[in-house]
Amino acid sequence: MELIYARWLGWCSRVALAVLTGSFLLYVFGAEPLVPLEQLPALWRLPVGEYVAATGAPTGWGWVYRLGFGDYANMLGVALLCLVTAVCYLRVLPNFFGNGERALGVLALLQVIVLVAAASGLFAAGH
Amino acid sequence: MLPEPTWWIWPLALFAVCFAIGMVAVLAGVGGGVLFVPIVGGFFPFHLDFVRAAGLLLALSGALSAAPGLLRGGLASLRLAMPLALIGSVTSIGGAMLGFALPTDWLQTALGVTILAIVALMAFGRTQDLKAPRPDALAAALQMNGVYHDAATGREVRWSVHHTPAALVAFGGIGVLAGMFGLGAGWANVPVLNLLMGAPLKLSVGTSGFLLSVIDTSAAWIYLNRGAVLPMLVAPSIIGVMLGAKIGVRLLRVAPARVVRRVVLGLLLAAGLRAVLKGTGLWN
Repeated sequence: MELIYARWLGWCSRVALAVLTGSFLLYVFGAEPLVPLEQLPALWRLPVGEYVAATGAPTGWGWVYRLGFGDYANMLGVALLCLVTAVCYLRVLPNFFGNGERALGVLALLQVIVLVAAASGLFAAGH
Repeated sequence: MLPEPTWWIWPLALFAVCFAIGMVAVLAGVGGGVLFVPIVGGFFPFHLDFVRAAGLLLALSGALSAAPGLLRGGLASLRLAMPLALIGSVTSIGGAMLGFALPTDWLQTALGVTILAIVALMAFGRTQDLKAPRPDALAAALQMNGVYHDAATGREVRWSVHHTPAALVAFGGIGVLAGMFGLGAGWANVPVLNLLMGAPLKLSVGTSGFLLSVIDTSAAWIYLNRGAVLPMLVAPSIIGVMLGAKIGVRLLRVAPARVVRRVVLGLLLAAGLRAVLKGTGLWN
C-alpha cells in the first residue's frame, strides 16, 4: 500500500511543483497580474481581510475565475499542491477495503471527507 | 524617511533567506517551516497572515517531496500515521480559523512563546529506541504495528506502539499549533511518536514527514480560501528552500552538524524573542 501511495505522491507532487514554478515565472516575467507588482509593498503589510478589501482579491474558489491574471495563474500550482494528499488517499482507499482492512479504509474515507470539507470553502467566512 | 524599495527587493531577499533556511534546516535536522515563520514574520514587512500561509505551504511542499522516499524505504508507515493524521488535520482547520480570529499582536506573542518552547524542546529533548512496547487496545484494533528494514544495521526491526489515546490528544494539539502558526510540526511529531508511543526513532522521523503532508494540507486550504496565499511570497520561499536543501544535503558530509544545530537554536531563540517583543509592542 505504501508503495502505491508513494508512486502517486511522487508524480503528483512533481507536477504540482512544476506548475507552481512555471506559473510563477510567467507571473514575474510577463503575464499581467490582478494586483500590480509595484503596489505589493504597500499591500502585503495589511491583514488579509484588509488586503482582500483593498484589492478585490478573490476568496474561496474565486481565484479559478481569475486564472487569466499572472498572480492567480500561480494559484493553480498552490491548489495542486493542496490536492495531492486527497488524490493519493482516494487512490489507496479501494485497496484498503479490497484487502479487508476496513478500519484503515474508514479512516482513509474520513480523511478524504475532512480534506474535501477544508477545500470546499465552508470555513472561509471572513474575520 | 527612507523611500520604499522597489517591489522586487523583498521577494529577492526572501528567496536568499529561504535558500539559507533550506540549507541549515537540512544540516540541523529541522523542518524549514519552523524557521521560516518566526524569521520572516519577525524581520520582513509582510503581514503575519501571509507569512503563516507561506510557512504552511513551505512545510507542505517539503513534506510532499520527502514522503515518497520515506514510504518506499519503509521509514514511514500509513497504518501508524492515518489515525493521528485524521485528528491532526481536523484540529489544524480549527487552528487556522483561530489564527484568523485572534488579534495579530496576540498571535505574534503566542508564536514567540511557542518558538521559545521549541528551542527548549530541541535543546533539552531526548529520544529513545527501546524494544517494541506492548500495544494498547486501540493500537491493536487499528493494527498499528509492523516491521521495517534498518539499512544502517541491516536488521529487520519489529515495532508496535502504545498510549494511542494520549497520542491522539497530543496530535489534536499539534494540529492546532500547525494550523494557527503555519509551522511544520516535525518538532512535536517526533517526540510524540517516539517518546510517548514508543515507535522507533527512524520510523518516527519518517512518519512525521508523512503526517505533515496530511495535517498541513487541511490548514493550507483554509488559508487559500481566505485569500491569504500571496504568490509573491509563496513561490520564492518554496523554490529557495528546495534549492537550499539540495545544497544542504551535499554539505551534510562535511559540515559540523553540532555547530550548525547550535546556530539554528540561536536563530530560533532570536526569532522567538523578536516575535514576543513585536507582539507585545516593545520592538515594532
